[in-house]
Amino acid sequence: MSSAALINTDDPDALEPTLQSILDQRSLRWIFVGGKGGVGKTTTSCSLAIQLAKVRRSVLLISTDPAHNLSDAFSQKFGKEARLVEGFDNLSAMEIDPNGSIQDLLAGQGDAADAGDMGGMGGMMQDLAFAIPGIDEAMSFAEVLKQVKSLSYETIIFDTAPTGHTLRFLQFPSVLEKALAKVSQLSSQYGPLLNGFLGANGSLPNGANLPEMMEKLEALRATISEVNSQFKDDRLTTFVCVCIPEFLSLYETERMIQELASYHIDTHCIVVNQLLFPKPGSGCEQCTARRRMQKKYLEQIEELYDEFNVVKMPLLVEEVRGKERLEKFSEMLITPFVPPS
Amino acid sequence: MPSLLVLIFVIELAVQLINSIGAATINTLVWRIATSLPFPISKQFAEQRTKQKEYLAVRRELTATSSQDQFAKWAKLRRQHDKLFEDLEKKKSALDASQATFDRYLTTARLISTRGLQWFLPFWYGREPMFWLPYGWFPYYVEWFASFPKAPIGSVSIVVWQWACTGMLTLIFETVTAIVGLAAASRQKQAVPVAGAGKRPGATASSGEKKEL
Repeated sequence: MSSAALINTDDPDALEPTLQSILDQRSLRWIFVGGKGGVGKTTTSCSLAIQLAKVRRSVLLISTDPAHNLSDAFSQKFGKEARLVEGFDNLSAMEIDPNGSIQDLLAGQGDAADAGDMGGMGGMMQDLAFAIPGIDEAMSFAEVLKQVKSLSYETIIFDTAPTGHTLRFLQFPSVLEKALAKVSQLSSQYGPLLNGFLGANGSLPNGANLPEMMEKLEALRATISEVNSQFKDDRLTTFVCVCIPEFLSLYETERMIQELASYHIDTHCIVVNQLLFPKPGSGCEQCTARRRMQKKYLEQIEELYDEFNVVKMPLLVEEVRGKERLEKFSEMLITPFVPPS
Repeated sequence: MPSLLVLIFVIELAVQLINSIGAATINTLVWRIATSLPFPISKQFAEQRTKQKEYLAVRRELTATSSQDQFAKWAKLRRQHDKLFEDLEKKKSALDASQATFDRYLTTARLISTRGLQWFLPFWYGREPMFWLPYGWFPYYVEWFASFPKAPIGSVSIVVWQWACTGMLTLIFETVTAIVGLAAASRQKQAVPVAGAGKRPGATASSGEKKEL
């Protein structure tokens, strides 16, 4: 058995094992990169961003992972504002904290009006926001979208957190929309009546203002529905799954793909990372054993995901950090890696 | 009017039967018959049953497949399993809903044809004699009671006929139930000593010990 042999790629029906299709799809605006922790999401998203930067006018890489590895990968500090990556003129990166951004959002609302008057309002919004699971993510994505829209990037890549619930808010758009629509309808119908009770300016007991709150809710509903419609459009959005050829990672990937399908999010690329290609005649027992195991799972991947672009990436001997190494690594996303024979 | 006589009797008989069998039992029975007849609903049922079988087969295969050794096969089975499960749940709720509708119709029809007629017929035919009593056989108050409330004197009214039917049927049903109950009890009694024969000495011994204490 030649341990370095790749899995059979002679199958004419098999899709090409590269991410070229993503580069070619010019309409793509949102690309998510996700997978279990430690499989190389950040490396993959950085590499994909580098490759996209070569063919797009401008690319933005956003990390929503609170661990924030972008700074490590590029050896450069990134913050909440988009900043150009050193050595590139059309690739920017930023790091946002999904939980932090909602707090900022709420705090910002508090500051916008009278501080004393808005104290209760902020609390009420916060209660509302945390009452619905996933709404914090939805709002932070909405916020990012708002920011990004004004910045006019051609493509935005999200390096998502490994929780797997990044996109769970897409699950309940209709419920939330219906609820919020009902609330706003009620308020518009009974607003005058309530205002009669509440006084001329419609202030609620703890200092909130009814019409203003309804306005805010309505705005939230609109942004969430827009996020949903954008993310569910397969011309605009795709999801790149990253995994390693091990059971748990595969299991998670399968679950994620099914979940994404239930949210109607397009996904047609899988990056299999950290493949071992020991040199022929290498005496490393662990490497050959591991290679055998990886091969088993690779075969399963090929069989199961025949409608996906399955990209195979080798495990390198050095850490993939810094611009040069990332660039070299990113080449392998486009031109399949040929193991030394 | 012998037909009306028979009709009243049949209605009372039906009411008694329904009461003793139970409305819910009858509904499920009719539902089962309806679903086994060649109606569209029975086709849906057959589909559901085959789907269920398919689902169970897939499930069995899924548990028999090792997810670690044959991941692709396992994952494909899992997808199939999930899809079938979802389908089944959806179909089941639809079928349940149609059964509820069917039950509602059936109950309405049953109530109209028993309770409705029970009230309507005496009301409509209140003045008509069911049959005439032989002249001079009964004293006046018996004749008056037999024609209660509005039938001509000397005849038996529909209401009284209804009462008579109800009373008779109740009596018969109670007798039958009692006989059946007695028969069942006697059969049980026969069975009990055989089963308890071996235990009996022990039981008496223990009771004897208790007394000594």
